[in-house]
Amino acid sequence: MYKILEKEIFSENVIKLVIEAPEISRSRKPGHFVIVRIDEKGERIPLTIAGADEKKGTITLIIQRVGVTTCKLTDLKPGDYIRDVAGPLGKATHIEKVGTVLCAGGGVGVAPLLPIVEGFKKVGNHIVTVIAARSKDRVILEEQMRQNSDEVIIMTDDGSYGNKGLVTHGMEEVIKREKVDMSVIIGPAVMMKFASQLTKKYNIPTVASLNTIMVDGTGMCGACRCSVDGKTRFVCVDGPEFDAHSVDFDEMLQRLGAYKEKELEAYLKYLKIRPLDE
Amino acid sequence: MNDIKDFLKEERNQEWRVELKKSMKAKERTGRVRGHMPEADPKTRNKNSQEVNLGLELQQAVSEAGRCLDCVNPTCIDGCPVGINIPKFIKQIEARDFNGAATTLKETNALPAVCGRVCPQEKQCEATCFYSVSLKKDPVAIGHLERFAADYERDSGNMSVPVVGKPNGIKIAIIGSGPAGLACAGDMAKSGYDVTVFEALHEFGGVLKYGIPEFRLPNEIVDVEIDIMKKMGVKFRKNYIIGKTLTFDDLREQGFKAFFVGSGAGNPSFMNIPGENYNNIFSSNEYLTRVNLMNAANNEFDTPVISGKYVAVIGGGNTAMDSVRTAKRLGAERAMIIYRRSMEEMPARVEEVKHAIEEEIEIMNLHNPVEYFADEKGRVNKMRVQKMMLGEPDSSGRRRPIPIENSEFDIEVDTVIVSVGVSPNPLIPSVLPDLKISKWGTIEVNPETMQSSVDDIFAGGDIVRGGATVILALGDGRLAAAGMHKYVSEKVKVN
Amino acid sequence: MADLTTKYMGLTLRNPIVIASSGLTDSFGKIAELERNGAGAIVLKSLFEEQIILEAEQNLREARKNSLIYDEFSETLDYIDVHIREKELGKYFDIIKQVKKDLTIPIIASINCVSDIGWTGFVKKIEKAGADALELNIFIMPFGFDYNCDEIEQKYYKIFRKVKQEINIPVAVKISPYFTNLGKVIMNLETEGANGVVLFNRFASPDIDIENIKVTTAEVFSNPAEINNSLRWVAILANRLKIDIAASSGVHDGKAVIKQILAGASVVQIASVLYKKGTGHITEMLKYLESWMDKKGFNYVDQFRGKLSQEKYSHLDVYERLQFMKYFSDIK
Repeated sequence: MYKILEKEIFSENVIKLVIEAPEISRSRKPGHFVIVRIDEKGERIPLTIAGADEKKGTITLIIQRVGVTTCKLTDLKPGDYIRDVAGPLGKATHIEKVGTVLCAGGGVGVAPLLPIVEGFKKVGNHIVTVIAARSKDRVILEEQMRQNSDEVIIMTDDGSYGNKGLVTHGMEEVIKREKVDMSVIIGPAVMMKFASQLTKKYNIPTVASLNTIMVDGTGMCGACRCSVDGKTRFVCVDGPEFDAHSVDFDEMLQRLGAYKEKELEAYLKYLKIRPLDE
Repeated sequence: MNDIKDFLKEERNQEWRVELKKSMKAKERTGRVRGHMPEADPKTRNKNSQEVNLGLELQQAVSEAGRCLDCVNPTCIDGCPVGINIPKFIKQIEARDFNGAATTLKETNALPAVCGRVCPQEKQCEATCFYSVSLKKDPVAIGHLERFAADYERDSGNMSVPVVGKPNGIKIAIIGSGPAGLACAGDMAKSGYDVTVFEALHEFGGVLKYGIPEFRLPNEIVDVEIDIMKKMGVKFRKNYIIGKTLTFDDLREQGFKAFFVGSGAGNPSFMNIPGENYNNIFSSNEYLTRVNLMNAANNEFDTPVISGKYVAVIGGGNTAMDSVRTAKRLGAERAMIIYRRSMEEMPARVEEVKHAIEEEIEIMNLHNPVEYFADEKGRVNKMRVQKMMLGEPDSSGRRRPIPIENSEFDIEVDTVIVSVGVSPNPLIPSVLPDLKISKWGTIEVNPETMQSSVDDIFAGGDIVRGGATVILALGDGRLAAAGMHKYVSEKVKVN
Repeated sequence: MADLTTKYMGLTLRNPIVIASSGLTDSFGKIAELERNGAGAIVLKSLFEEQIILEAEQNLREARKNSLIYDEFSETLDYIDVHIREKELGKYFDIIKQVKKDLTIPIIASINCVSDIGWTGFVKKIEKAGADALELNIFIMPFGFDYNCDEIEQKYYKIFRKVKQEINIPVAVKISPYFTNLGKVIMNLETEGANGVVLFNRFASPDIDIENIKVTTAEVFSNPAEINNSLRWVAILANRLKIDIAASSGVHDGKAVIKQILAGASVVQIASVLYKKGTGHITEMLKYLESWMDKKGFNYVDQFRGKLSQEKYSHLDVYERLQFMKYFSDIK
């Protein structure tokens, strides 16, 4: 049983939880994720570890409410327990000094991006971070990103904060004005697809962190499989990060929708019992 | 070798056994027909998860045990991968000492309730039974009797907790709570070690829980065995991925002196044919894990599973049978097996195939998929198959399937389950560069001690064999325990 | 300075020397060296279905020796040839991808096939991996007596058709000369959509060891005299075909390259000579070609290509008979 120690609401949809998990906090590196199961009847879902405190023995998860499990999880309060948290899983981000790294996070993708930004900054890279969200209230972690980047550009779809436009607009502006040695993109699959096409055009090596459906998370079932460079790879053990230009994003989008109808049905049923509050 | 023969002879000559043998003429024994295992009605059982084999009734069991001739040279034992003292436990059943029979079984087999259900006895002990070999008659139903004894003991509430030796305070880590890990843990605990089992998933039992369906092996039975181990003092830790959550060095620092790796062959194989990544095409691991481990078929549980009306399972082994029979239970109108060789060559247990056919599974032998097609949402809706014919045997003895020209045709499907084998889980080999790995990804071990190329690491089960049976995993676990005991004893002596 | 640029099946090569499918072209390292030594294009070593079966067999045999690996109930063992096939094919595609990534030389994939079954997915993946073209070596042994001529020919067309409809990259067919009406077969393939034809396939030849009284294999490598048959057919066909011709077998020096091009070949394929003389020999052959072109005043290869091809409407048999008669009448 893993105790929830802190809870912070970033927006109506995005909630931060700090969870007691001493062993995971010790072994965790940027890029790792955990598999979480709330209770006996719950499903297993992957969540990127947004941060960890080895001294306190805690890990931080930033969760977007998109369905039954994420809602149940973010309805919990400090003092509540999560039944199962397994990790750290996946391959850690490969961090090296390359020069200028353009980091782009879309929506809640900014959360897993933060530890990666921290990692790249620590080894001496020049970091330009683009945070993209639909509107002002969906922009998260701005302060933390500013602390770890040399420059932060904020893009909102509706222009309510920062610049009006998509993440690709912000990225292209940077690419056009300075030399970018590498890019890291994390966000909804569609966002990563277009961001990847952009950096491919300019021949900038790009890493994407994929967020597929998972069941066990240890390489046992193949639910998370994707095509990278024509070969089948498992996101949970070969990833979650891959060379973005080799990823078949269309296939990934197709596979992400496999349970859409069931998920929606369950979500609507859940909302009838627990309407979105707070 | 002679020790064993002498021991068996000694046991055979015990008074109760000699009396028992005399109590019935051999002719009467061999005149009996093999007892029939009561089975649930196919028409109802293919819609639910009740166990198909209901277990022998008490009188049936005693009568069946009477068929055993208590041979001077018990060839049945030769057929058993772990050398269970078969004649003894059977005679104990005949003598109505059912608990005694269970105890005898547990001397060699840690999980008789499991093996009695899932072992391919027809290829092991029952194949070498005197009845099969010399009389050319149906063998003694050794498997059914094993199950009977184990179930009786459990149901009677008198389940014996094996005696645990004097605690020696030496910490042993078991990685993986499947059959290999459980067997090793049990033996090490009996020898007085301080055993901790680390499991990556949130339930213990490994393939026994996530792989084998309820209608073949109820999860409850596995839990009973695990409870007994807990009573023996074995510690179980779930959500521990050794190599990630804790490394081997972390464990060594914590004082663990030896390790058993039983992480299994959970890595699913696909065929890499066009369209295999369309939606609703699953590995059998994923499909069975959702249904067996996550209870996805039950609406009260959150994990979903997609199992449609026209389900095709590719493969011919036990896992394929498990998958297709599960699909039928989940409402498939057509639950099909697509297997590229003939019925005789299917690796699945004969009993499983028989049960499947009774449950209205369609078995399409000599067919192989070549491509999948999908609708506009990427959901598989059609499978193209090719007819095969059999050519020369390869060195496994199986005849090689050769495609027949122009034989392709399409089958409507909405779910496909790919069950063409598994390979060893690569996680632990990947975190231990010093560990010697074979070209098939299995951990190489000394076959007599199960010790790997790293002194304090032993291994067994599918991670060493690349996908085999439960009984072999159990045997490996026990062998490794003996090896580990010797290794640790010597290490402690030196220190 | 002569310009050796050549077009073959729509691909632009820096010169007309193509390295034939062989052990010289079975790895990225070797291909890189061939590029360094001046090769115009590469035909990747063929993938045989049999080879994969052999590999699977070997794996199985090894597995059986190990008392622990697999057992008869293992589904993995049951489908092991599928797993090995995928691994081998994976390696093949990796070579293509790496060549496309790190080198500039055009790469032509090669398949040896006896039937059209099972190759469809494979050819699509070859195209996806980035191969510039495909060479189909339709390997129906003409030494068996099961089929009529017609049936054998129909097989060729069927296989070709099936492959062609799956991909968009150019497809060449490498065939043997053993047809009743070779010219017609090639023209039919052209009608089916072939982008090139490679003359000819070479079969291993038998020889006899009279000392030990047994059958052996003849010299594996081609000898220069083997050029004659393909030279004849290139000359006969060049003006009757629109598709490109690759001349193979017996091209061992710059002179042979020139002869074939004069006869009408777009490119030549070489292998044996490089085994014998090393990959540096490519440069020798190119130098010879260049200096001959300079001497004769040709700036481009096209200027002398097909100069000696038979005219389209001249009668073959008359041509041949005249030459034959002339030959014998000239001997004193």
